[in-house]
Amino acid sequence: MFPGVFGFEWTAGNLIFLGIFNSVICLVLGAIAVAIVRGARDFANGKQDELRWDDDFEELPPTARACRHAFTGEIKHRVCPNGFDCRECTPHSRLLERGDCVADLRAQERSASGFEIEAECMYHRGHTWVREEGDGTVTVGLDDFASRLVGPPDDAELPAVGSRLVVNGSAWNLKRGSATIRILCPVDGEVVATGGAGQGWYLRIRPLNGAMDTRHLLRGGEVSAWIANEMERLQLALSNSQLGASLADGGLPVQDFTAANPEADWDSIYAEFLFGA
Amino acid sequence: MDRQLIPRGLKRSPLWKFSLWILPWCALLAVGIYAIFLCLARGLNQTNMDNRFAFGLWIYLDLTVIALGAGAFFTGFLLYILKRKELKAVINSAVVLGFICYSGAVAVLMVDVGQPLRAWFTFWHPNVHSMLTEVTFCITCYLTVLFVEYLPILLKNRKLRMIPSFLVFEFELHKVMYVLAGVGTFLSFFHQGSLGGLYGVLRGRPFAYREGIAIWPSTFFLFILSAIAAGPSFILLTTTVVQKISGKTLVKREVLGYLGKISGSLLIVYVLMKSIDTLVWLNSTSPAEGVQPFEFYMWNPFGTWILFAEIVLLGLVPGLMLLTSTIRNRTGWLITAALLTCGGVALNRFVLTIQTLALPTLPFDEFLSYLPSWQEVAAFLAVLAYGVLFYSLSFRYLPLFPQERELAHS
Repeated sequence: MFPGVFGFEWTAGNLIFLGIFNSVICLVLGAIAVAIVRGARDFANGKQDELRWDDDFEELPPTARACRHAFTGEIKHRVCPNGFDCRECTPHSRLLERGDCVADLRAQERSASGFEIEAECMYHRGHTWVREEGDGTVTVGLDDFASRLVGPPDDAELPAVGSRLVVNGSAWNLKRGSATIRILCPVDGEVVATGGAGQGWYLRIRPLNGAMDTRHLLRGGEVSAWIANEMERLQLALSNSQLGASLADGGLPVQDFTAANPEADWDSIYAEFLFGA
Repeated sequence: MDRQLIPRGLKRSPLWKFSLWILPWCALLAVGIYAIFLCLARGLNQTNMDNRFAFGLWIYLDLTVIALGAGAFFTGFLLYILKRKELKAVINSAVVLGFICYSGAVAVLMVDVGQPLRAWFTFWHPNVHSMLTEVTFCITCYLTVLFVEYLPILLKNRKLRMIPSFLVFEFELHKVMYVLAGVGTFLSFFHQGSLGGLYGVLRGRPFAYREGIAIWPSTFFLFILSAIAAGPSFILLTTTVVQKISGKTLVKREVLGYLGKISGSLLIVYVLMKSIDTLVWLNSTSPAEGVQPFEFYMWNPFGTWILFAEIVLLGLVPGLMLLTSTIRNRTGWLITAALLTCGGVALNRFVLTIQTLALPTLPFDEFLSYLPSWQEVAAFLAVLAYGVLFYSLSFRYLPLFPQERELAHS
């Protein structure tokens, strides 16, 4: 195998054969070492939340990845390619520049498909609301759709005050039965206070660089269209696949979907609507 | 706990049903492990092989599973090097199959060669002029590569990906996958070839001996070609079987058709090369060795039918079937053609291993017959059971088919 080992000879055959295979072994070990070093660097830079979201987003069905402007009819049948981060999205910027974006219209409705919506709040696609406070912080809570979907949680794991959160990273965890539901963070920032289900909000967050970029959050006239679409998807998810959507029209959503539909595959439904896989 | 390990959004059978499924395979594996213990503890007298019939069921199994496992390296090559994105739908399954095939082959080789504690000798004191040394180096290196390729799939497990350090490692490992795919292709190319070359250089066995290019006999190239032709068919076949057993659609129909098309194209090239090789052997190589080639086919049951079956029935016919789009588009025919292709490569390995050794070569030689002992069969079945168990557990707890969730929604 190596010079000095019994059987090794300084011949072309030995040198070519063993040279090639030692190179191959070095190449494989080198590739693994590169992956470990880069992985350690990503870990130190806190990239794990971003990577997890990229992965989770890829696995979502196209219906769950529909563009916000497809709900309002501003764009037809578009699947979001940006992980719901409209801050980097060219079509979104163009629509905002045009000035007649549905998101700019003030919300007329106080509810959509039976779910409450707040005109002064912005919404994240993972079903959290964001309200700007006067002191530069924002308050974050679970929207009415998610609250009814999960029902009253058995427990909540909130981040410590001082934690830094990123958009689409973990914000907090809810426990319902045996399920742990990861709620995605709608904004970047540092946690300055935590609340809970009883107080109607979960986190108060201060932006890291002064101003908070909220271009990716749903607002105004587009929220009701989005909620209507979510309700339609939920009906399909809860219905017998052979029958299609079969909930009665005109009714009001129950307070606790989880308790009302114990046979449903809640594991998948939480992942598909709240995204925290 | 079991439910928490199953990937989100995927439906799997209840645990009791899954336990019932794996129970008989566990029993088969246990019997096989006992047989392996007997062979290692008492020696190869537990088998029906001897000094004349030194290659038996195990070497046949090795050659066949390594050929069928070629789907892993070839799919990786097409996806990561040639960027055929359609194959992303089956790459994870292909890697798992490759890992099963190669680890199973290495395990059986350890029993066959014996003295596993001295296995390192072959690496530390290699005979660089031996085809088998090349095979040993390539197979062990490639098994390591397959293990590294399997790691990101394993780390996709729902519980494991909750660990942040695993998540980032999996991501970065995925980024260097094209390097591993390239290395895997290089290694597979040479060991598939060397396994064929091993027979081609047997000058004392004129039935197997072949001429070739430089140091490589024609069987070197034919083994590579037949393996990359059968590999995609084996993936197609296993995917269909898993779909049938699980009752789920795991990949889009066009992916199966694409695998069939790749397999068919390569199979036709292989059949052409094999036909030329056979004609050269019949008319030149064998007579030059002083043997009339058709004498080899006078020993029953190895008549000329086996040559016809290998080249036409299990080569040309499935090749043309897979290349004809109207036939390929009909699932039943597609599966039949894939089955014939895999059968063809298995028959080719059988002919080169068993028929070669059974035929007399010297005037005083007799036609030898060989039937494996129960220990050999049990060890063979243990590899099969190991494969089924490994794949079943991977399918249950890992996202092997990226399109499964999307197809379940549609």
